Amino acid sequence: MNEIPVVAHKCKNCGKIHYPFHDRCMNCKAREFEATKLEGNAKLLTFTQIFNLPWGFDQRFLIIGVAEFENGVKAMGQIAADSIDGLSLGMKMKALWKPVRVQAGEKVYGLMFEPIQ
Amino acid sequence: MRDVAIIGAGMIPFGRRDEDGLMDMLAYSSLNALDDAGLGDKSVDAVYVASMGAGILQHQTAVASALVDRLSLLPAAAEMIENGPASGGSAVKMGLLAVASGYYDTVLVVGGEKMRDVTGWRATDFVATLTHPLAEYIYGVTLPGMAGMFTRLYMEKYGVTREHLVQVAIKNQKMGALNPYAHVEMIITQEGIMDSPHSVVNNPPVADPLRLYDACPVSDGAAAVVLCPLDMVKNAKKPPILIAGFGQATDTHTLQEREDPTDLKAVTLAAKQALEMAKLKPSDIHVAELHDAFTILEIAESEHVGFFKKGEGGKAVAEGKTQLGGTIPINVSGGLKARGHPVGATGVAQVVETVWQLRHEVGKERQVKGAKTGLTVNFGGFGNNVVAFALKRVNQ
Ligand SMILES: [Zn+2]
Repeated sequence: MNEIPVVAHKCKNCGKIHYPFHDRCMNCKAREFEATKLEGNAKLLTFTQIFNLPWGFDQRFLIIGVAEFENGVKAMGQIAADSIDGLSLGMKMKALWKPVRVQAGEKVYGLMFEPIQ
Repeated sequence: MRDVAIIGAGMIPFGRRDEDGLMDMLAYSSLNALDDAGLGDKSVDAVYVASMGAGILQHQTAVASALVDRLSLLPAAAEMIENGPASGGSAVKMGLLAVASGYYDTVLVVGGEKMRDVTGWRATDFVATLTHPLAEYIYGVTLPGMAGMFTRLYMEKYGVTREHLVQVAIKNQKMGALNPYAHVEMIITQEGIMDSPHSVVNNPPVADPLRLYDACPVSDGAAAVVLCPLDMVKNAKKPPILIAGFGQATDTHTLQEREDPTDLKAVTLAAKQALEMAKLKPSDIHVAELHDAFTILEIAESEHVGFFKKGEGGKAVAEGKTQLGGTIPINVSGGLKARGHPVGATGVAQVVETVWQLRHEVGKERQVKGAKTGLTVNFGGFGNNVVAFALKRVNQ
């Protein structure tokens, strides 16, 4: 599953890109948006390794980060890595659409970033 | 608008209170505040109750209606305020507006949370429900996780070091050990949580780069205040404390949509509004209660409210400027770090502590000498809803 269904919202009036959705543009208050796909690879803006996980996760830890796509969309996602030792701010990440948690027995899909070596 | 005074303040010790339910804690702290105000059997006009989690954790709604009944305050007006971790500050604000407007004369504000009813992972999940459901929550991000990502950026941009964070934890736990209302009463050292080889075991990472001792505990607790118009305070046994200013501001739901995610705009705005309304400058403040759910937040907030320039808050802690006796004592209660953080109670507890400080009632070991002005900052979400108060002692 490689097609990422996440949609960002580009203001038809001023061009500002929003993710997640807002009913009015943060910049100009216009209400019409054009659906925009996430483009290209992403740059890692920040990250953390979380050890005390919320209800619904079985693993020992999660690595989570925020990355910026080439068209300016910024999004949170999980990071596929065994530890944070190899991660650094600004590094290039490939975005995938993968199961990120299980809710009521169902897999929930979301963004998974993979460091590009 | 009328000037509004705090004439009663009450709290119960925070911590793990297995014997008390949420209603018990709200009732006990309310009675403490009503008694402190010397109201006797007199009723109040309205009651504002803050709790973030009653509906989720206790599976109980309409808690304010239940509380006025339990306290025999009928037929006082009553409502609940749920505004995430800023619920307490919001409730105090609702009480303030109600009295200032002239609509009500005597108002009780109480905030409480019972978090130790559930397992740690349920409590963590409950707080995480304030994040964006699709863009954040599904990934398993927690509040410590948000704080970890923020800390990484703040360290990178402003040169805050691990040692600075450790100094906040040491200072606040030292003060908590002197505060009978604090959850954590254990003195810690830099040796124990940073320098010694055992520190990796004593102080494991919770959300890198934050470690266990960077985070507040999960606590039960409640706190309450009684408000009335300043000009109705007659022959008070205790000095009334004026709510001289308040401020509140919001910011984007997700951290990633902030132009500069290290800029806590809502903190800056809320504090600025509160101080301007009180006609005070940051340097006029004698004692401050900042929302140190994580050590980094005390440092970042101390800069955003204007006590220090950006990038100088960490150094200020290391130099002792924020300790008792320093230029601006911060969290001499122990803060959320040591007093604990029963979320709905916190914003009210910050006000209660500041009232006690301005009345010079906390005892020699914790008292900021001659304190006449105080600032509180209640930080909701991850900085997306912040409530601040400037308080002044009134000499009658
Ligand atoms: Zn626009």
